[in-house]
Amino acid sequence: MIYLDNHATTPCDPRVIEAMLPWFTTRFGNAGSVEHALGREAAEAVETARGHVARLIGAAATEIVFTSGATESNNLAIKGAARFAQSVGDGRRRIVTLATEHHAVLDCVTDLAGEGFEPVILPVGRDGLLAPDVLAEALRLPTLLVSIMAVNNEIGVIQDLPLLGALVKEAGAAFHVDAAQAAGRVPLDVSAARADLVSLSAHKMYGPKGIGALYVRRRPRMRLLPLLSGGGQERGLRPGTLPVPMIVAMGEAARLALAEGGADAERLGRQADRLLALLRAAVPGLTLNGHAERRVAGNLNLTFPQRAAVDILQASPGLCLSTSSACTTSADGGVGPSHVLTAIGLSPAEARRSLRIGLGRFTSGQDVEAAATHLAAASQPQVASAAE
Amino acid sequence: MPKMTFVERDGTHREVDAPLGLSVLEVAHKHGVDLEGACEGSLACSTCHVVIDAEWFNKLTPPTEDEEDMLDLAFGLEETSRLGCQIVIDEALDGLVVKLPAGTRNAQG
Repeated sequence: MIYLDNHATTPCDPRVIEAMLPWFTTRFGNAGSVEHALGREAAEAVETARGHVARLIGAAATEIVFTSGATESNNLAIKGAARFAQSVGDGRRRIVTLATEHHAVLDCVTDLAGEGFEPVILPVGRDGLLAPDVLAEALRLPTLLVSIMAVNNEIGVIQDLPLLGALVKEAGAAFHVDAAQAAGRVPLDVSAARADLVSLSAHKMYGPKGIGALYVRRRPRMRLLPLLSGGGQERGLRPGTLPVPMIVAMGEAARLALAEGGADAERLGRQADRLLALLRAAVPGLTLNGHAERRVAGNLNLTFPQRAAVDILQASPGLCLSTSSACTTSADGGVGPSHVLTAIGLSPAEARRSLRIGLGRFTSGQDVEAAATHLAAASQPQVASAAE
Repeated sequence: MPKMTFVERDGTHREVDAPLGLSVLEVAHKHGVDLEGACEGSLACSTCHVVIDAEWFNKLTPPTEDEEDMLDLAFGLEETSRLGCQIVIDEALDGLVVKLPAGTRNAQG
């Protein structure tokens, strides 16, 4: 089995598991139990992890709020910022985002229409990038919040955050960045991006599922209304007993990402180039979706000339990859054409012939060679089964 | 002596003497204005939360991180909210106008 779906999720790094396990058993204290040693030890472990996550994005530890994942972080950021602004009598209602955002962002923004906010969904170019003048035009009207993803989860394109963030701040709006796919894969700096809010997820950077974080700028203070009521954990922004083992794991994943992300990216870039070259040689008419250079290392989103992606996958049972975001696969198992691919101008038919490949930290050179062989064979029409 | 005005919860304006060097909280207490100040100005609660008149807000020294932390917990926060204990009267603040918020919440819990 060859795993090529690292945008859906990544395996936990064994070093992450090792760091996490003691916090389930011998060191099980509640980080809120500051009256005894076991609790204080857990609280210290949480603060160490918070520091690792903060350093990955150039933030201060006090600016990191742990959540259950990027979906919750996106909800807390977008709904929390909008509702806070409304609660202090801010008259602005406009919330701007991109057509290619993850559903956790798009649906937050459109759901807020029901609370009197005005969603504005901007188009992107054929290359998947937001043109600065399109954003500038949208910002001519008073805007409360802009949400732009750092790296797209399907086509892997990297938005120019420093350029776009400067426009957002010039317009006086708050700036949220969904960095779930970017953290650990590309360098991120909250100051350079001018971001007020940044969503992170552990399981996209070799940590466990079920833990994420939201960066909340402290100076100038970014204020949010919490989604949940409860104890005062996480500055009251995210009450609930802290999942210490998961937090320790995310901290270790962030520490490793900062230490090794650059080397990982170099290797993944070479592997993706190799895979693309092999496939192009074997499959005439193959096209790469999204900007060819401004993309995260290890991502290839490919449109095949003849066969539907679901048929290619059926003919390659030894490969784990997907036709589009796993997050938009419907409950009944049906897969609609990707909203990201149609937003960059692909026809529904072309979108259905497209595959998302995400190489990762544990992808080997042999995996790449074997995957190319399997995919090349499976993408030819009339092939029953090409993979063992 | 400088003067300042408290806008009470029922909308009444009360202009009072504001001696130099006293905080807005101390001025309130001196004149029996209903501003709690549970921690007595030690930056451990948000019960002396006041809403600064928009004209005056940018003339104040910006809040410290610690004051912002306490404001995070204040009830009925507004865009020009501050803690009364952190605003010290000087000549430049002669004429300052602050409003008492609708309610308070003691962050000391």
